[in-house]
Amino acid sequence: MSGIVCAIRGGPASQPTIAQAVTLAQKTGLPLHFLYVVNLDFLSHTSSGRVHTISEEMHQMGEFILLAAQAAAAALGVTAQRVVRHGNVGDEIIGLCRDPGADYVVLGRPQAQGKENIFTKNLLNKFSERIERETGAKVFFAEGSGM
Amino acid sequence: MNRLLRLWLPAALLLGISLALVLPRTGAQTEGPAPSPLVTGSIYDQQGQPVEGALVTLSAAHESDSIAQATTQPDGRYSLSLSETIPDTLIVHIERAHFEDAHIELDAAAIQSLRTGQPIVLPDTTLLRHISPAFWAATLVFVAVLAIITTGTLHNTLAALVGATLVFAISYLGHPLREDLFVFDFGGALRYVDWNVIFLIMGMMIVIAVVERTGIFQWLAFMAYRVSGGHMWLLLPILMLVTGVASALLDNVTTMLLMTPITVQIALVLGTNPLALLMPEVMASNVVGVSTLIGTPTNILIGSYGDISFNDFLRNLTPGVLLAFLGLILYSEFAYRRELRAGGNPSPLLLEKLAERARITKPEHLKKAGLVGAAMLILFVFGEQVHLLPAVTALMGATALLVWIKPDIEEMIEAVDWTTLVFFIALFILVGAIQEVGLISFIADAIGRLVGDHLVLAMLAVTWLSAVLSTVVANIPFTAAMLPVISYLTAIVPGAHSKVLFYCLSVGSAMGGNGSLIGSSPNIVTAGIAERAGYPITYAYFLKRGFPALMITVSLATLWLLVRFLVMGGTGG
Repeated sequence: MSGIVCAIRGGPASQPTIAQAVTLAQKTGLPLHFLYVVNLDFLSHTSSGRVHTISEEMHQMGEFILLAAQAAAAALGVTAQRVVRHGNVGDEIIGLCRDPGADYVVLGRPQAQGKENIFTKNLLNKFSERIERETGAKVFFAEGSGM
Repeated sequence: MNRLLRLWLPAALLLGISLALVLPRTGAQTEGPAPSPLVTGSIYDQQGQPVEGALVTLSAAHESDSIAQATTQPDGRYSLSLSETIPDTLIVHIERAHFEDAHIELDAAAIQSLRTGQPIVLPDTTLLRHISPAFWAATLVFVAVLAIITTGTLHNTLAALVGATLVFAISYLGHPLREDLFVFDFGGALRYVDWNVIFLIMGMMIVIAVVERTGIFQWLAFMAYRVSGGHMWLLLPILMLVTGVASALLDNVTTMLLMTPITVQIALVLGTNPLALLMPEVMASNVVGVSTLIGTPTNILIGSYGDISFNDFLRNLTPGVLLAFLGLILYSEFAYRRELRAGGNPSPLLLEKLAERARITKPEHLKKAGLVGAAMLILFVFGEQVHLLPAVTALMGATALLVWIKPDIEEMIEAVDWTTLVFFIALFILVGAIQEVGLISFIADAIGRLVGDHLVLAMLAVTWLSAVLSTVVANIPFTAAMLPVISYLTAIVPGAHSKVLFYCLSVGSAMGGNGSLIGSSPNIVTAGIAERAGYPITYAYFLKRGFPALMITVSLATLWLLVRFLVMGGTGG
């Protein structure tokens, strides 16, 4: 997807990420795409029978979070698109960037150190290298923020 | 992995059920032909519980060959019939794995009675527990599984399944090496599986699968918003009430799975922190679920084991739950007063989007599910008059819905959480193992000595011990393990025959879930969704908000139980 891909999760930690992406869009004039990835790994230790329903609900929640981001961008004069994908967060960001090829990716720097979260401080640099290697997109980080 | 689980778990479950049905009930019948003359008696353990499967042999003194033998029945009774000439001396030998052997020598008068064809009844025999290597093996496996489930190292089902398999491996492979490594055989293990619980959960899962796809949760949450007029202080108790009632009638994990995303959206509309609504909701789910037999998995376990009906739960717990719920609302309003003041200016764009989604997607299904649900409630309440088990009611309701709605049957079967059902089966086997080797007896004995004859002390100990422990260990295995202990205490503590201690366990284990993030499954799924919306709930945050809620709600519920059973003289079922 050409233009700027901004992967967000929502919450206050995403605000600097959204702001950075909007600023970049204003500077470059490239289209902005907000991405939310539905990931249900948290169900793996408790319940497996409700995946279908909860997946739909999480999709709607993602749409909602992106709608709020879209409105924030619109207030600053930037028109943004919303994309919700399902699966592994890292794979889906790269998948969207490849389709057909993003110019920039804006990510946050969350504080979480969860072992399954690729957006930990330790793994973030490796992930940005992977994005650049596999998609050719340049990665920006929004300081003091989160995906 | 998930696909594999979906394929083999139903098969494993069906195989287990089939085996349970076809396996012979060993040890339940007296061996040998015709009666007369008879030697009968009963065998109990130190807690006064009947001992099933003990081998009772009768032989002449100094003779190794037995004259008669029998195994004790589930009520601990045995009956030996003698068809040969009665010798001058007779000794009854009693053997049972995990107990010390016992011997009873018949006196001359008893032998004379037998010779004249008169049956004799021997005094009750109490077998003493014997700590064997099997005791340590089963205990170690159980503790390890509990730790693995609590820390989330493995999937609950896999952890329990590994534990049950280890117990079988120790019994079957260890037994040839050391006789005292035997815990129980496969048939013995299946006797510990409570099929009422399995079928009740399965039936309710099917009903929930139909209800959850109708959009009712989203509609209710939006209606809560509209009724409150966007006032957060009013929205909070309404959402708590919706969540609580849904948790009491359905399963509380599903309730939170569906309520959390829509609550996040409502909070975003109002521009407030979703945790100010989510935390009170999940705590309400843990508290109000206690009011019914089907509200929490722990209540389903307690109801089936303690023979406590749907009505008994309503009569003996609901007022206490309402009291605790009221306390929880006041606490939540206080704890989140800043966030509740901050919200209230809805975003028109987001509100429009929210309203779009807040509709019943399958009104016909909802109507039918509502009618069937109402019929099920009537059967839950009045079914005990005709000894209708809750499991049968749940199955009847589920089947009626499937026949009436005719949904995609494969979708419905997929909606049944087979992993949970297998988890319960494996858990029953694991708890059966520690019961078999005597760990439960030792715990029961220790608690029995601690509380003595004091009912109030027993009530406080059971309620608060289970509440505090539920904050650090998974409450379902904990409750399953505590049931035989409560049964023992019910038998020995004066006044506890009202089954009050089962209610104390119900309150402690479920409301105790509010004490920490890992205290209950709804907490974990709520935290998972909130984290994916950018509002992480850390262990410390949950403890800070949840532990005071535990103290308030458990105190109020305890107060009710004391009034109900000590002042009003309540009977528990």
